[in-house]
Amino acid sequence: MHTYWKAFSVIFSRDVTLASRCRAELANPLIFFIVVIALFPFAFGSDTELLRRITAGMIWITALLASTLSLEGIFRSDYDDGSTEQMVLSGYPLTLLVAAKVSAHWCLTGLPLMVIAMLTGIVLSLPTDALQALFLTLLFGTPVLSLIGAIAVALTVGLRSGGMLLSLLILPLYMPVLIFSMVAVENALAGLPIDAELYFLAGMLVLSITLGPIATASSLRIRLS
Amino acid sequence: MIFQRFYRFASPQHFYHLAVLLTPWFAWATIILMIVGLYGGLVFAPADYQQGESFRIIYIHVPSAWMSLFVYVLMAVFGGIGLIWHVKIADVLAKSCAPLGASFTLLALVTGSIWGKPMWGTWWVWDARLTSELILLFLYLGYMALQSAFDDRRVAARASAILALVGMVNIPIIHYSVEWWSTLHQGPTVSKFDAPSIHINMLIPLLIMALAFKTYFASVLLIRARSEILEYECNSNWVRELLTKTD
Amino acid sequence: MLECVRQDVILFQDVNFELQAGELLQIDGVNGSGKSSLLRILAGLMQANAGHIKWRGQEISKCRYEYQREISYIGHLNGVKDALTALENMQAMKALAGSKSDIALSDILIQIELAGMDDVPLNRMSAGQKRRIALTRLLVTKTRIWLLDEPFTSLDSSGKSVIEQLILEHCDRGGIIIFSTHQPIEIEGCSIKHIHLGKK
Repeated sequence: MHTYWKAFSVIFSRDVTLASRCRAELANPLIFFIVVIALFPFAFGSDTELLRRITAGMIWITALLASTLSLEGIFRSDYDDGSTEQMVLSGYPLTLLVAAKVSAHWCLTGLPLMVIAMLTGIVLSLPTDALQALFLTLLFGTPVLSLIGAIAVALTVGLRSGGMLLSLLILPLYMPVLIFSMVAVENALAGLPIDAELYFLAGMLVLSITLGPIATASSLRIRLS
Repeated sequence: MIFQRFYRFASPQHFYHLAVLLTPWFAWATIILMIVGLYGGLVFAPADYQQGESFRIIYIHVPSAWMSLFVYVLMAVFGGIGLIWHVKIADVLAKSCAPLGASFTLLALVTGSIWGKPMWGTWWVWDARLTSELILLFLYLGYMALQSAFDDRRVAARASAILALVGMVNIPIIHYSVEWWSTLHQGPTVSKFDAPSIHINMLIPLLIMALAFKTYFASVLLIRARSEILEYECNSNWVRELLTKTD
Repeated sequence: MLECVRQDVILFQDVNFELQAGELLQIDGVNGSGKSSLLRILAGLMQANAGHIKWRGQEISKCRYEYQREISYIGHLNGVKDALTALENMQAMKALAGSKSDIALSDILIQIELAGMDDVPLNRMSAGQKRRIALTRLLVTKTRIWLLDEPFTSLDSSGKSVIEQLILEHCDRGGIIIFSTHQPIEIEGCSIKHIHLGKK
């Protein structure tokens, strides 16, 4: 048990150290988020009423896209320099090491994205109920995005068609999360309780935490063979 | 003992010959059932009191929707068998299922859209059932894209199996979407334990058409699987003999 | 009787061998003959199309973790992170291998003739130096079996002799080494078994 925790923390801290060596890359998803949010008023005109209605959706979709973009690189450098092979051969369960990588990625990307998304919601004058719903859905949803997305990234790492194929695989898997989150926010705006949606999201989170790393580890093994 | 009898069909060669044998049977069954079903649906069944004649598209729409879900589950199961027990035939069958499943899903969406226009006044509406069926189409397309992205056949099969298994989460969402959310789409007409809420004269052609779609799927699946097997086993002796036989 | 198929091409068939402690196996063959694939199969990264691999009488698929703790595999790719320093890489290797070896990491660097480069990140090193860092895995993790895929690539002659020395010492200690190369290698004092892949 102690050694498992040690292996987890070795990989976790290694990824954090690597990310801190190129800090500029960490900022990319956040800048992307802000730029895309800024695009919406250009597309819809400055019709404040319309924009107010779609603010929550705007924020969630942009967070989702930013998360997909940042997820793309999670396994690439390891695959390119052979570290994935060494992880497979380390004698520790690959599931554990993959879970460490995905956790590191969520802490470095998902969490800041959540903070920026909440700030954007406040700046764009989202009502408090919606803000609360937004926070909770992001809290449950962004880890699910990281965990499920990691499976698709592991399947497509290093392929020629890389990015486009990844989006094609990932977005259908993300849709249930988006659907439940948006229903929750809409219900919150209408003053209805959002317990059901939150339970669904929590269920998805638990499912992804338990099964996601296993599927990701299998995918990596398949890609290495 | 019986298990042993079936186990030999896990060998590509035996399966190939079994497929050659069975295909004509399924094909003829499809033709007969389609004729009977379509006659029943278009002529025999009475016009709906609410929707008139335009409800008859149900005889294509509902079986294709059922098949789209069924084929996905089958694809995921075959993929799982190939992944866990390394059975080549399972990989072949999973790969062959995908285009069929995608076609059924597309057919369901298109016929649903055609039906929706006179009924709901719109070609498309973003409700739960339609959206989740659309997600299913994307899952099929993603599966097929992933299969073709790999050069090595076996790696492709195993990677796609994982994708199919992960996407299984979507199936209950589609199936229960009409119960969980209040949608424009009508509720389930045929469920396992209650008496169906549909007139018996309309129900029988529907079930016949469902069976026809299944036999159609079986015959086309076997045809596809046959050519896949030949590609998979291109290095083996039995394939070489088969292809050089002058018939 | 190992067989390997990649992309519908049979790379090799009927490969058969047995190794005892202290033995060295060299895999010869031209490019594309399946040397890397054979090593990957032996490491457990790939599955053979047919055949079994047994370690101490047990199939490796049945005792996967125990077997993997006994092997060190160094493939074409170095398996080290460019953005980290030499010391950080070796520390990660040591931690992940659960190695309790008490040899200081700086001493290992001295042994492979990279003394004083502890805190140099790998992206500032040459290809040969990176390869040496990759090969320190053999010293950091004291495993019995070494699987080396073209270990001498990018190495200069002094690097080559360092590695040859390491191989010799490992054999004397009773380890097993399986390596592939398409260069002719002479290692004194050790009998080398050969396997030739590809068309003869």
